[in-house]
Amino acid sequence: METVFQSLGVVLQPGHLLMLLCGVVMGLSIGILPGLGGIVGMTILLPVIYGMDPHSAFGLLIGMVAVIPTSDTFPSVMMGIPGSSASQATIMDGYPLAKKGEAARALGAAFTASLIGGLFGALVLTLIIPIARPLVLAFGSPELFMLALLGMSMVGVLSGNRPIKGILAAGIGVMIGALGDAPAVPEYRYTFGIDYLMDGIPLVVVGLGLFAFPEIVDLLIKGRAISETTTLGKGWLDGVKDTLKHKFIVLRCSVIGVIVGFLPGLGGSVVDWIAYGHIIQTSRDREKFGKGDIRGVIAPESANNAKEGGGLIPTFLFGIPGSGSMAVFLGGLLILGIQPGPSMVTENVDLIYTAIWSLALANVIGATLSIALSKPITRLTVIPFSYLAPFMVLIITFACYQATRSWGDLVALLLMGILGWIMKQYGWPRPAALIGYVLSDNLETYLFISVQRYGAEWLTRTGVLVLGAIIVFSVGMGIFFQTKRRAPASGGEHGEKAA
Amino acid sequence: MKKVIHSFIMIVMALLLAMPAAQAADFSGKTIEWIIPFRVGGGSDVWARLYAPFLQKYLPGNPVVAVKNMPGGGSIIGGNHFHTRARPDGLTVFGSSGSTSFPYLLENPKVKYDFAKYKIVFASPTGGVAYINPDLGVKSVEDLKNFGRELAYASQGATSLDIIPLLAFEMLGLNVKAVFGYKGRGPGRVAFEQGEVNIDYQTTTAFIKNVRPLIEQGKAVPLMSWGVLDADGNIVRDPIEPDLPSLPEAYEIKYGEKPKGPAFNAWKAFMIAGFGVQKAMWLPEGTPDDIVQAYREAATKVIADPEFQQVVEKSLGGYPQMAGEEARKAFDQVLQVPAADKKWLINWLKEKYDVKLD
Repeated sequence: METVFQSLGVVLQPGHLLMLLCGVVMGLSIGILPGLGGIVGMTILLPVIYGMDPHSAFGLLIGMVAVIPTSDTFPSVMMGIPGSSASQATIMDGYPLAKKGEAARALGAAFTASLIGGLFGALVLTLIIPIARPLVLAFGSPELFMLALLGMSMVGVLSGNRPIKGILAAGIGVMIGALGDAPAVPEYRYTFGIDYLMDGIPLVVVGLGLFAFPEIVDLLIKGRAISETTTLGKGWLDGVKDTLKHKFIVLRCSVIGVIVGFLPGLGGSVVDWIAYGHIIQTSRDREKFGKGDIRGVIAPESANNAKEGGGLIPTFLFGIPGSGSMAVFLGGLLILGIQPGPSMVTENVDLIYTAIWSLALANVIGATLSIALSKPITRLTVIPFSYLAPFMVLIITFACYQATRSWGDLVALLLMGILGWIMKQYGWPRPAALIGYVLSDNLETYLFISVQRYGAEWLTRTGVLVLGAIIVFSVGMGIFFQTKRRAPASGGEHGEKAA
Repeated sequence: MKKVIHSFIMIVMALLLAMPAAQAADFSGKTIEWIIPFRVGGGSDVWARLYAPFLQKYLPGNPVVAVKNMPGGGSIIGGNHFHTRARPDGLTVFGSSGSTSFPYLLENPKVKYDFAKYKIVFASPTGGVAYINPDLGVKSVEDLKNFGRELAYASQGATSLDIIPLLAFEMLGLNVKAVFGYKGRGPGRVAFEQGEVNIDYQTTTAFIKNVRPLIEQGKAVPLMSWGVLDADGNIVRDPIEPDLPSLPEAYEIKYGEKPKGPAFNAWKAFMIAGFGVQKAMWLPEGTPDDIVQAYREAATKVIADPEFQQVVEKSLGGYPQMAGEEARKAFDQVLQVPAADKKWLINWLKEKYDVKLD
């Protein structure tokens, strides 16, 4: 307990605070730029931390990574483009809200949710450190496979207007994910002798191609501003109130965020969808989801900030990163001369608490800055889109090119963009395709390991049976409710078309 | 007098001749691009970033040493890029790792780079330690003599660095089932702790931090280290785990004779490539001797720097780093692995793990 407050003292020193602030400002900027996320941010900062004292370096790195899921809401809500992979689900309802002229409300709600989620993540990290090991060890490969399947089936069933389309779209995603080197055998698939395809198509390219590109094309075709009304609405205080009113949603989704962050191998691109899927499933009145329901913004936003706290747990305790940005953070730890692992709890516990305080503080500063800046940034939505489009195309192309810095990125972006546009035109849920893509590697690896190790016996493990029951239940419920909803044909389809 | 003038002219001429050479090995105001064929934050990236500021300090003219990450294709893309693009002017260097050397040794058709043509600057060794689940009743290598139960090992793939543990288990006559698909040694260790697998190895740094606590809790039993290279090219005990037998010793304990034959020869070559000189810095083909010399001298000075020795202790496992000739000699053992032994290994991979290498 003493160490907890000692670390607070360290965190509040001016030198450290300055580093934290630098990190936060940088994280906010990276979050706003579409396609750039925690991995890019960490990569940029890594060379800087050489020779720095670990506490200051933690301020910088954690300050940066903590607020990306806060500010990445801007492009998601206002342009329908994911600011980073963790806020893809925010588009589903955030973007329709912006179209209705309620961008400020959506942002207010999102930032408040982000703040609470982030603080919750820090709190859980504090509490869980002593008991984290047995928890992580409880999830073997068969259980992780079932979790990945759960994530995919939920999104597949829920994100479109027909479950079958959703499941097929997820299948397309899995196939895109299967390009390149196979995860478990030394073989390359469908590379056609092209070097670029050896590592598959990068996430940034798939995400921006499927989501950003079709959006830009359609907005250009319509030829007007993103917001359909010229009034911004004064709603951001309403947004704060919305979040506080739905405090249980925030709490539940924060828990989801921490758990997903905490499980190695699931990663940040899944967390928002799982939270979004959860909130649709547990709500009684779901007609408005996909058309601008504030709960659809609150859920993913509280989860994606909470996941950073969760993600730090396996990184510190096992040296196993919970997500891509944590993988780079791990490299940073090694540069600082810290070897993460179980001995961290005994030898570097002060550093763990520095990380926790930095995480909490960064979330407060990040949310405050975002709210303060939301007005000028929100004005962007009333600019006629034809002025914005060239700039956005530039950013997207640039972000894609950052993926592997090869021409292949741009070609792949174009092809993915065309695929995304076609899917949008015909009402195939793109989120399902994306989640399939993101999870394909996990699905294959964990299934492969399970079968190799346990034969058919893995199916009889308790964890697998429990998770299997949850999958059957959630898919069944999804299909049941959707058929029921479609029957009265109450007009306006939920999901992809509305977005 | 004539003699004086004559010798004066000679001296001037000699100086003039010597000048370009002296200039060539001066990197003032230049930027040196160090290609690392792995992502930021990976082991090789960290290794390069630890070395870079010290090389900057000791290379003539204090050039900026910039690490350029070029990940992809299991480091083949970066290696090929270096092979086709790097000019022999000392401004582009390459950092290889075991994962770069292995496809080269296995004659992967995608590999264009050729270490036999490059000049090595320095190399960094590492070590590996194998351990086993105590529930199996094994207390040390002695107990493996009549051990017949099936073991499971969490592997990244049969052509990865895991060739070394897998072949070591094979040589010791252990019945080990390789479970493929794990993303590295970290997840492998978690699988060991979960009981998903029951035999594992870690590189020495990770072993000290993560496995020693398990051994103290009675959750793991250390078996052997792979060993390290001594100055004569023999494999001896790892100084970091001096109480554990090296693999050749373990072999002797089991069979009562020193290991020999194609399996051991192949194992040794791959062990040196994967651990003994795991990471190395290279200059491209045709680099002039004075540049090579400047680099090797700088590397020697870096390694002697007390501040850098602290870095070695803290972040590079504490193994003595090798510069210049020493590194070359060690890597020559990798390059000179007899074709027949290599063929034996490739065939073994094909027979046992169904690996097709073309």
